[in-house]
Amino acid sequence: MRDSDALDNNPHISRSALEAIHSQVYGWALSRCDFDHATAEDLMQQAYVELLSGNARFDNKSTLRTFVFSVVQNLARSRFRRVSSRLRLVKKYHREAIVQSVETAEPLADDGVWRAVRALPARQRDIIELVFCRELTIEQASAVMGVTTGTGRVHYDRAKKALRERLQEWAEEE
Amino acid sequence: MQDSDKRLRDQVRQGWVGIGDAGPSFETTWQAAQQRHAAGRRLYRRVAGAAAVVAAVVIAVYGQPPAAESYIEVADLLESTYWTAPSDALLPDRQFDIYQDMPVIFESTEPAGGALL
Repeated sequence: MRDSDALDNNPHISRSALEAIHSQVYGWALSRCDFDHATAEDLMQQAYVELLSGNARFDNKSTLRTFVFSVVQNLARSRFRRVSSRLRLVKKYHREAIVQSVETAEPLADDGVWRAVRALPARQRDIIELVFCRELTIEQASAVMGVTTGTGRVHYDRAKKALRERLQEWAEEE
Repeated sequence: MQDSDKRLRDQVRQGWVGIGDAGPSFETTWQAAQQRHAAGRRLYRRVAGAAAVVAAVVIAVYGQPPAAESYIEVADLLESTYWTAPSDALLPDRQFDIYQDMPVIFESTEPAGGALL
């Protein structure tokens, strides 16, 4: 059945359903771009454009939240690749520009446990964020990350182990 | 989920709350996305229109169908042409035909004792 506010090119997505998960998706976009609000907003707009145009088509195979998280993840990845290739070019021809761009990055929240999470390898950090903070199951989180459930479980277990060890070390230091 | 997992999860979530998800409202983001979508479609239409015009020009210039082949009737051709051998100019004016007017040989060609009769 089609909702009254369903998108033209994405009949299984309604505007109200997107509105309901907007803040969660924004949080995910924010963590995808190192907590830079301007980039996260741009990423969100880009994700909505993909849904409006039907380029990213939802077919009810997963939850809407998992799907939109995946769209944001893929967009962030392709953006990161573009930025990386540009940075490589700049690095090749103008070394000083790199130093400047790194220095202008916004300082990040640096709170205890979260600092430990941020120190984890990217995949482990992602799955911890998705499962612990976004309340996704490991299966859903793996789908968002584009890995198999088995791989997701491995990342999850390793992340928990590394986090415990790090928190233990800090507790002993204090 | 085990107790130790729950403790870890609670610790991480406490840290996460500090970071927060506060951002622009859905309405703001949605309207901006719709504008971008509309702008993208306009651009697509313009590019498609320009491509169509270019294709039409290319076809008009280079894509003319080959001219239909024309056939000449053999009878018309024969009537319209006249051929004379270059050696005709050597013939006398009265058009004497040496083959038609073969001279008659009066002598017999029958041999008789080693000589013609």
